[in-house]
Amino acid sequence: MAHGFVLDPTTARADDITSPGPDAGPLAGKVIGIRVDQMWRAWDWISEIWADEFRKAGAADVKFWRSCGRSGEEGERMDRELKAFLASIDIAVVGLANCGSCTGWTVHDALAAAATGLPTTAIATANFEEFSKTIAKRGGRSGLRVHVLPYPLNERFREEVDPVGREHFQKLIVTMGAEIDAQNRAAA
Amino acid sequence: MSIVTIAPSHAKVGAPPKQIVSRDCGPDGCEIDWLASPRHEADLDIANFTAFAMEKGWGDGLPLVPPTETRVRTFLSLNNRYPDEVIALLPPMRAECTVEKIVISAVMAGAPPESLPLLIAAVEAVAEPDFELYGMNATTASVAPALFINGPIRDRLGIPYKHGCFGGAASAAAAIGRALRLIMRNVAGQVVGVTSQSTFGSPARVTGLVVGEWEERSPWAPLAERRAGIKGDAVTTFGGMGTMNILDTTSQRAAEFLEMIGKSAAYAGTNGFSPAVPFCEVLIAINPICAQIIGREMPNIEDVQEVLWKNASLPADWFEHLHRGQLEDQGRIRSDGRVYLTPEPKDVVVMVCGGTGGLHAAVVHSFGTSLTQTRAIL
Repeated sequence: MAHGFVLDPTTARADDITSPGPDAGPLAGKVIGIRVDQMWRAWDWISEIWADEFRKAGAADVKFWRSCGRSGEEGERMDRELKAFLASIDIAVVGLANCGSCTGWTVHDALAAAATGLPTTAIATANFEEFSKTIAKRGGRSGLRVHVLPYPLNERFREEVDPVGREHFQKLIVTMGAEIDAQNRAAA
Repeated sequence: MSIVTIAPSHAKVGAPPKQIVSRDCGPDGCEIDWLASPRHEADLDIANFTAFAMEKGWGDGLPLVPPTETRVRTFLSLNNRYPDEVIALLPPMRAECTVEKIVISAVMAGAPPESLPLLIAAVEAVAEPDFELYGMNATTASVAPALFINGPIRDRLGIPYKHGCFGGAASAAAAIGRALRLIMRNVAGQVVGVTSQSTFGSPARVTGLVVGEWEERSPWAPLAERRAGIKGDAVTTFGGMGTMNILDTTSQRAAEFLEMIGKSAAYAGTNGFSPAVPFCEVLIAINPICAQIIGREMPNIEDVQEVLWKNASLPADWFEHLHRGQLEDQGRIRSDGRVYLTPEPKDVVVMVCGGTGGLHAAVVHSFGTSLTQTRAIL
């Protein structure tokens, strides 16, 4: 059979931001925003622990925003809320990438946060780490910071999840590029 | 939290205007090389090209027709379309889906040139933000966009709407559905294990699900007319999780058939009952024999939807306690102590199709917040 030329069916996104974006820097006096969802109770538990730790580290406030339905009028409400949430915080912690669609939306919202210039870290469980990074790259920002929690997570009991949250806080600080001053480190 | 009702968003996203091709020579393209896609040298034998395409990551495992320039040009000129028109931006890549890219996938899938208007309408529909393709293309669920077709185009393209319409009838439906799947793979970037986390997948993720409505045998107005006021050729896209069969050899009256169908659609593990899913729709296909019986007693489709909706519910205490607790926290247990599959009766999408043997109904459960879209095929 003859050789010939075929047309490439794929498209590729040429733009990519490889930078992780700004470091979170000193936490003292900052407003930390944590994006939660309506799927993962383990993420609710961990985000509560991290909120306490952020406050001990000198954060001025910790705000939460819960992502719900993303289509129809409900989706428009979510878009408005997300925009207002991002405008009200200094640092974004966005989770939880722990399934397919929720990873998609976690990364979507993390990219939205990063696009505003906020220091942004997405939170993923280990099984969805590579997926998060792939989606971030395809969203045009391969440098997105991703902090990885163990997997499976949501299937564990609270007495198992709480230590994970506490253990991961210092690692999260490193991923965020955050700093805790000596006085607040002692408190935290 | 409370029950979230479904209402379409107000913003419609159109494709960005773009023109890179001169219109001077018409869609045939004269001598001008106006196909923008990169070329690859390949063996044009189908088996060898399929192996080549699989290596490139373009294929789904089935044989592929080589998208040569001649085939793509012919496909375009038969439709009098220019290749550079951007139809949509498809997530997760938000890459430009041009007419050219649609045609390349259609050629590879073996879809007929006459299917291009349907494919373009389908791409426009799934790209609507309310269809929630962003989540759908990434999810662990088995969802794939299903296409339900109204109008004379059913017969022009041979889209099945009688016996075996959900699969098995020899037709162009599988090739057309496959073309949309290849677009999802090659343009949207939905690749299993890379950008799609689907735990099990489904056959519809290879060939799609393309079904006509047997509107001539329906006692109600055609689906597209009821949903969007479109008379004639139209496509309704639905984020379908697969097909569920319901057998009823016993019922005689409308209420009995609808009770059986509604109750069967309500199983605890469907996405619509998950605390993770704030709302969803459900599609129910009624065969023409049952539709005739039901239509005699219920000429208004809203009455049919109401009965189906009431029956497609479960008592809250039937759910396992952790699930029940979450549903309760979300305010989804109603005053009658039940949890409903969809927020309102209007969210039960009803159509008529299938063989004259009757006896069976089909349910297509929704992925979740993906809202059904209906578009005219122009």
